[in-house]
Amino acid sequence: MAGPLQSEVLLPEQIADLLGLEGALGAAVGALIGAFIVGNVMLAFTGVAGPWAKRKITAAFTDRIAVNRIGPFGLFIIVADSVRLLSKELIIPDGADRPSYDLAPLILPASAMLGFAVIPMGSLGPFNIQLADPEAGLALVFAFASIASVSLVMGGYASNNKYSLMGGLRAVAQNIAYEIPLIVTAMSVVVFAGTLQMSEIVAVQSQTLISLGGVSIPAWFAFVNPFAFVLFLVANMAEIGRNPFDIPEAPTEIVAGYQTEYSSVYFVLFYLGEFLHVFLGGAVMATIFLGGPAGPVLPGFVWFVIKIWAFFLFTQWCRSALPRVRIDQLIEIGWKGMLVLSFANLVLTAIIVGVIA
Amino acid sequence: MSVELPADAGAQTPEEIADLLGDLVIGREEHLNAPGFVIKPDTVVDALRRLRDQAGFDHLSCVTAEEYEDRYESIYHLTSYDDRTQEVSIIVPADKENPVSQSANEVFRTADWHEREAYDLIGIEYDDHPDLRRILLPETWQGHPLGQSYDQDQPQVVPLREHQNPLLEDQKADNDSETMYLNIGPHHPATHGVLHIKTVLDGEQVVDLEPDIGYLHRCEEQMCQNSTYRYQIMPYPDRWDYISAGLLNEWAYARTAEELADIEVPEYAQIIRTMGAELCRMAAHFLALGTFALDIYGDFTALFMYSIRDREKVQNILEDLTGQRLMFNYFRLGGVVWDLPEPREEFFEKTRDFLDELPTALEEYHDMMTSNEILQVRTVDTGVLPPEVAKSYGATGPVARGSGIDYDVRRDDPYGYYENLDWDVVTEDGCDNFSRLLVRMREVEESAKIVEQCIDLLEDWPEDERNIQSNVPRTIKPDDDTEIYKSVEGAKGELGIYIRSDGTEKPGRFKIRSPCFSNLQTLPEMSNGEYVPDAIASLGSLDIVLGEVDR
Repeated sequence: MAGPLQSEVLLPEQIADLLGLEGALGAAVGALIGAFIVGNVMLAFTGVAGPWAKRKITAAFTDRIAVNRIGPFGLFIIVADSVRLLSKELIIPDGADRPSYDLAPLILPASAMLGFAVIPMGSLGPFNIQLADPEAGLALVFAFASIASVSLVMGGYASNNKYSLMGGLRAVAQNIAYEIPLIVTAMSVVVFAGTLQMSEIVAVQSQTLISLGGVSIPAWFAFVNPFAFVLFLVANMAEIGRNPFDIPEAPTEIVAGYQTEYSSVYFVLFYLGEFLHVFLGGAVMATIFLGGPAGPVLPGFVWFVIKIWAFFLFTQWCRSALPRVRIDQLIEIGWKGMLVLSFANLVLTAIIVGVIA
Repeated sequence: MSVELPADAGAQTPEEIADLLGDLVIGREEHLNAPGFVIKPDTVVDALRRLRDQAGFDHLSCVTAEEYEDRYESIYHLTSYDDRTQEVSIIVPADKENPVSQSANEVFRTADWHEREAYDLIGIEYDDHPDLRRILLPETWQGHPLGQSYDQDQPQVVPLREHQNPLLEDQKADNDSETMYLNIGPHHPATHGVLHIKTVLDGEQVVDLEPDIGYLHRCEEQMCQNSTYRYQIMPYPDRWDYISAGLLNEWAYARTAEELADIEVPEYAQIIRTMGAELCRMAAHFLALGTFALDIYGDFTALFMYSIRDREKVQNILEDLTGQRLMFNYFRLGGVVWDLPEPREEFFEKTRDFLDELPTALEEYHDMMTSNEILQVRTVDTGVLPPEVAKSYGATGPVARGSGIDYDVRRDDPYGYYENLDWDVVTEDGCDNFSRLLVRMREVEESAKIVEQCIDLLEDWPEDERNIQSNVPRTIKPDDDTEIYKSVEGAKGELGIYIRSDGTEKPGRFKIRSPCFSNLQTLPEMSNGEYVPDAIASLGSLDIVLGEVDR
């Protein structure tokens, strides 16, 4: 473990200091620049993930090569695809409910971007990459992430398409069914950590759980409570709508669900939003179960990136290998299985923590 | 269907059938494959019910309609699921001026679509038919294209205002209704081609569902009627079930025409045919497996690519054998077009390598697919098709065998070299989507057994006895007014062809009995009351090819 992971000073203040600005102006400029940097880094990840990494990973799982013609390892396909997608015609169906049809693709990526504001992404050189560290950080992340459902319903309803409508309805049913177990499971971590503040949750996990022959295993909550980790992982997959829970889109059943009618830029925004949500899901998992940006040798930010990409890889693995469950089965798993298990987990954790402490 | 007679009911002589039908019979005909009984147009239900319940003819294989100079005629080709060699043709003439005939829908549900097709293409009207509309051609079509008075030059002018939105009727919202109307297709990721399914939904559940076909109708029957027996027809069958089942389709034509023109096929050629056909079956089943996985898994998953990878190996072997990858055109009347590719050892080795790797590949499928619990939850007890229903709809092939019906034309009405080989007919009793999947996977194994035996035989065949074609005259003119209906086991089921010769070198009537056409008819039975995803899965498990449905 390389020293204290978190310095007290957050990224916006550091930027303000660097620019020699003080007071409200410094806070505003620092926050804007900081948010710009973090937002762009995350968007760059999705830019790499969508047109390139996703194809390469799926190809590796399915015995193919995928993009390899344009640039090294086909990387320039990102540029080609961006041009292609942005230059397509933006088709707006007859009878679309205009303001909400246009707003839906904006809300989805925005909700995910908001979530990244409170994620501690570790240090890189002198900088401590975290935009804000409110005391209710964890609650805020879930609040931001769940705005996504609003976007899906808006898009599904406003498209004036029955497939879209079904996709929107499925999204709501699914998000309600899985958000509760998701948050209840996260609460078991809060019971352990005794705080909702993200940096504190990370700090608690840096303690040593057990020492094996000189190698100290940190008290990551995934090690402390693997059961909660698995529950959270499954609920998270459903929350972000990845296989085997990609019910709101379900390409072979309801064409593309809520995004059936979206094209061109709107389609890109939806896709960006989805990938951002995958990364946000990964970031939340990393923060509350995998010690946040903790890890040996490499800087914290690098570990953070490795962890969220590992989660992305996991979603792609599931996509290649797992059948999709049916909508009624999904709801059943959510309400009858996950909810019960997550409450059992919470109660048990509370009892154990209460007895030990 | 209940068969009231004892097990030997199959052994019906024409005289016994005549006795059974009694005074319903107004005339006798002789088809090459079966005795034909002419009955009055208002006694169809009576006659078919007697044959079904008292003589075991529980399989209405096909309905052929045609127009003659003086009359219309519907032929009901009946056979038995228990004994395929038992066949009888019920011929129903209808008045030239006012062609009306009783519908057989009451006895055999499959008659529904077959009679609609007869109405659409020939123009016979069926009394008491539940829904006598055009099926292959658009509603606005003028005339009946296979009828004699059809004017091919007549413009099919449809005013724009009538055809502006052919789905408009369906889109009108019914405010009182609690259900939602949904068009699945003609363009939809899960329809495996251009199929339109009119669906009525209550929430996510299917209340009613009706396949609307005909988008890929290419007048295959008429094209065959305008082609000569000897060479011109053979390329067409490749284009029916184009999912690499080409040789199986070609065999349907080859078998019918060879029987019609009394052509012998050398044993050596029969073995090559058998081998090629089974390779085609494997390729077709691999694709069925992959697309079914696509329907259940969504997106292009590992399973889809793996099955395409294995299909590719079969395709390569077939390419070596026939010189083509899709439209093989490899069979000829009286044999095959050329011998195995030289050097033969290389071909045998390549095929053997494939067969050796197959068990590993299949194990992979079982690991990833059939033993996956989510897949089992999705497919077991969904899309249930009870055997009686399957029989009534004339379901055949893996669909019937997945419902526990032990019926396979290869064994029940042997042709080619199948009799002399050691293989089994695969059946599963689950009647659900999972059973149909299992049947296909196990049939791949059986096909591999057949191919292996064929290769052994071909390898040891004496060099001077490699006779790939018998002597067949350059032009074939079967006797006037000879009628025959013969079928083979295609990849999807019983693929039958009816030919009536008119004394020329081209068929007078050429009718294709497509297994997918009958199998697709069962979709509403399987899907009503189930969830949309299950209806999609059921459609995938039927493994239809629209080229064959629409012809």
